[in-house]
Amino acid sequence: MPILEARNVSKSYSIDGRPITVLDDVCLTVAAGEFLVVRGASGSGKSTLLTILSGLDRPDLGRIVMEGKDITELSEDDLAPLRNKSFGFVFQAFHLVPSLSVLENVMFPAELYGDRHAEAKAQALLDRVGLSQRASSLPHQLSGGEKQRCAICRALINEPRLVFADEPTGNLDSANGDAVLKLLLELRRERRTTLLLVTHSVEIASLADRVVTLRDGRIAGNI
Amino acid sequence: MVNVRFVRSQIACSKRQSYLFVLCVILSMVTLVSLGSFSRSVQKSLLRDARALHAGDIIVRSHEALPPTLTSQLELLTRQKTIESARFYEFYSVVRSASGNASLLANLKVVEPGYPFYGTVELASKRPFAALLTPGAAIVEQGVLDRLHLTLGDTLLVGSARLTIRDVVLAEPDRPVNFFALGPRIFIAAAGLASLELLGKGSRVEYVALVKVRQEKRLAETVAKLRAASPNDAVQINTYRNADSRVKRFFDNLLFFLDLIGIFTLLLAGIGIQSTLSALLLEQQETIAIIKALGSKSRFIIGHYLALALVLGVAGTVIGLALSLALQDFLPILFRGLIPARVELTVSAGAIVEGAVTGLVTVLIFTALPLSRLRSIRPALIFGKAEPDAPQRRSTMAIAAGGAIFFAALILLKIREPATAGYFMLGVALLVLVTFLGATLLLKRLMKWRAQDLLLRQAIRGLFRPRNATRAIMVTLTAALAVIFAIRLVEMNLDASFVRSFPSDAPNLFFIDIQPGQKAEFKRTLGKEASYYPIVRGSVVAVNGSAIDREMERQKRGDNLAREFNLTYRDGLLPDERILKGERLFRADWSEPQVSVLDTVLKMEPMRLGDRITFRIQGLPITARIASIRTRTEAPLQPYFYFVFQQKELADAPQTFFCALRVDKKEIAGLQNRMVARFPNLSVIDLTETASVFGRIMAKLSMIVRFFTSFSIAAGVLIIVSSTFATRYARIQEAVYFTILGGRRRFILAVFGVESLILGAASALFALIIAQSASFFLCWKVFALSYRPFAGESLLLVVETTLLVLGAGVGAALPILFQRPAPFLRALGDE
Repeated sequence: MPILEARNVSKSYSIDGRPITVLDDVCLTVAAGEFLVVRGASGSGKSTLLTILSGLDRPDLGRIVMEGKDITELSEDDLAPLRNKSFGFVFQAFHLVPSLSVLENVMFPAELYGDRHAEAKAQALLDRVGLSQRASSLPHQLSGGEKQRCAICRALINEPRLVFADEPTGNLDSANGDAVLKLLLELRRERRTTLLLVTHSVEIASLADRVVTLRDGRIAGNI
Repeated sequence: MVNVRFVRSQIACSKRQSYLFVLCVILSMVTLVSLGSFSRSVQKSLLRDARALHAGDIIVRSHEALPPTLTSQLELLTRQKTIESARFYEFYSVVRSASGNASLLANLKVVEPGYPFYGTVELASKRPFAALLTPGAAIVEQGVLDRLHLTLGDTLLVGSARLTIRDVVLAEPDRPVNFFALGPRIFIAAAGLASLELLGKGSRVEYVALVKVRQEKRLAETVAKLRAASPNDAVQINTYRNADSRVKRFFDNLLFFLDLIGIFTLLLAGIGIQSTLSALLLEQQETIAIIKALGSKSRFIIGHYLALALVLGVAGTVIGLALSLALQDFLPILFRGLIPARVELTVSAGAIVEGAVTGLVTVLIFTALPLSRLRSIRPALIFGKAEPDAPQRRSTMAIAAGGAIFFAALILLKIREPATAGYFMLGVALLVLVTFLGATLLLKRLMKWRAQDLLLRQAIRGLFRPRNATRAIMVTLTAALAVIFAIRLVEMNLDASFVRSFPSDAPNLFFIDIQPGQKAEFKRTLGKEASYYPIVRGSVVAVNGSAIDREMERQKRGDNLAREFNLTYRDGLLPDERILKGERLFRADWSEPQVSVLDTVLKMEPMRLGDRITFRIQGLPITARIASIRTRTEAPLQPYFYFVFQQKELADAPQTFFCALRVDKKEIAGLQNRMVARFPNLSVIDLTETASVFGRIMAKLSMIVRFFTSFSIAAGVLIIVSSTFATRYARIQEAVYFTILGGRRRFILAVFGVESLILGAASALFALIIAQSASFFLCWKVFALSYRPFAGESLLLVVETTLLVLGAGVGAALPILFQRPAPFLRALGDE
């Protein structure tokens, strides 16, 4: 059984009364443990697909099924445990909580989960990514690479089955980007996590188990 | 030239902050105009009805019988047809029902025909007052009938006379506010005065002669003639224009206090104006950076945002005026029972102009700082890589100094007493400084504290969210709440000390005007242990040879040396007294007359040991040297005397005795009946009854004060809402991140809720500490009460306030909860 499935998903937005179709009848399955890359040019709908697959947004048409369970119509509060325990998120813009320290940012999902060992786990992850010295720093005191490493730790602290990464290297220089990607893939391998990564980079796509290409909201390739 | 479209679009872009800005202006306008109009309405009515309020053109008052030279002059002028005059005598006495079963202390007014020259005494029967008030008749207030269980036509025993109750008085011109009276009014014709046998030497009677001048132009000349005929200044001779009245004094004091509250509210509303404009400008920071990048100068930008502030200010002014107008219909309900019925409450043009000008200056002053900071925004801000420069210290100081000067001028203008204005400014400055330091300290501690609980930790972190005006909110709320709490605590302490639990050891029944010849018989009839104090009426004429300026003294807000004092004599201290300066009450080595002075007197006039005070007692001067200064150690319900002489100096002076005793409340009525039946000239004051009247007045005044102080709370709430709106973006960001990471709405709501809870509870608790300290000081120093902290009620105040802040904070943040993560992320450019 696939861990995640998109069945005939469509999504459009209205800009000044003009409907813009971003996803058009997209069908996709993600196998457990798979490293899947969604590729496409800017505006192709890849990030929208990621937000819909991860339950951050709802499709206009179609269903999203997670391990056989339809999650399309779940309320925000019903989706919360799923996001907390089953999903991890890594964004291009990092999205660290500005008022929390590095350690607190990483701990946060585990604390929400009620994990008594949240701090120890967060410390271990920060050690693993070489950020333990910056544990008490606030996000604005970090470099881009450090922010993304912190975000990766936060995404993985609850050992989710599925990590969604949206252009995780997009805001980083090539050296930092390579290091962050290497780290993400290492941790994924260690934890056997499914990784769904959105990028326009051919190099990153070459590392994936499978690549889905989007063009104008439709799947143009599935290799 | 102002680009109107730009101003309009900026208002449209920051609708929420614009609304709040307008609300702050409305608040300041309503406070200024409604209080200003009320004050002017009362003063206008008092001036318009000045003749009626005094019932004559010239009012001659004295606590002694008018001197013969003066009465001769009055008679001469009457014979010359220059004036008409009517005398009346006002005093308290216990009156009884004919059966002798019931008695009560009543306020007697024994009037000659002609009274009142202006205004009318309204009777229930609508018949003319003069026709009914004949010798042998009494016209009484309804209270007399109710409390003595009498009806019209019944007999009333007043002193030695039996009078028939002819009618009920509904209103009299020269006593429009009648709640101060210790007892209800009774009118008696002066022709029957002697038959009452109530006027003994030393009795506390107010002798009044009302004069009607036939030609207005001869008013000053007549006053001069009467003053020339008056041998001493114990007799006050004033015209209706300058005479003080009880109602005027009452309103002077009430409006004085409300003015203080009004200025305080204006200050808080000003802070609200500054806070909302700062938030509005922060929202527009990027726009301003872009405009600067396109070549606009700071002057252009400041000019346009000043125009925006003025547009909003004018809108707030207009709405504020409309609301003030509407409030005038509500004020009579609020002041019911306190204002004379004839006062018409209207919004006066003067108050509108004054309010609009003051409001405009307030807007300009409080917008100056945020506007001046626009200079520090750099174009590089659009790249998110530049923070605004720190504001220039010099311009900040200049604006703060301008604001301080404006408020100082406003306070001086309203209060007109430099010393009081100084104390008020000092008090406000101290309050703001203490709250500022307290808030800074608390926030520093909170910033360092790492709470174990996730929810609490997030909430505390929220307090330090960029653009959160946490410290400004805390200072404003704490200062406003401290004032409100302190007023409430003082009120509760006064209520508890005087009204609810009359001190168990304090005397509750006072018999006054016991004549020396009655003392022995009085003691026998009373049959109880009681304290007796000789009383000699006298006034202070000079201190160290410098004559007392009575007019100046009467202008003082507190007690003053111009009034008549109850002097006493004894050779020892009372149980609750101790010597503050000097070795004992009197010195053995001085042969001249000596006096011991209570420390309270020193507040009226600075005096030292050895100074000489000249008194006038029954027309005779006596100069006494200050041998000691005393203070009191107990609650104020024990009898006390400002001036104590040696027995040898006053023993032969005309005097009465005053008896104070503690009686079980159930026995008071019976004892009063018995004593008054035997000694009709006595006045009895039942302090427990007086205390309940006092309690009712205080509750009413307290409600008025609370109504106006609630405006300052509203200013605090507006600042909270403004701050929540200013941090809307950061809050949405937090809410979205929490949602992405698996937080439920309940959790997010709880984070925002706990944040408001901390803010509200910290402000309220801090305010309570300040209020407790201030009210303890007031009760201890000013009212000499033993202080009760009212822990339960205080806690309730804190809870109520915290809930209010919680409601405002959560209410303003509620829409944020329903933000879905994807649109926010898309807006950030993740698509």
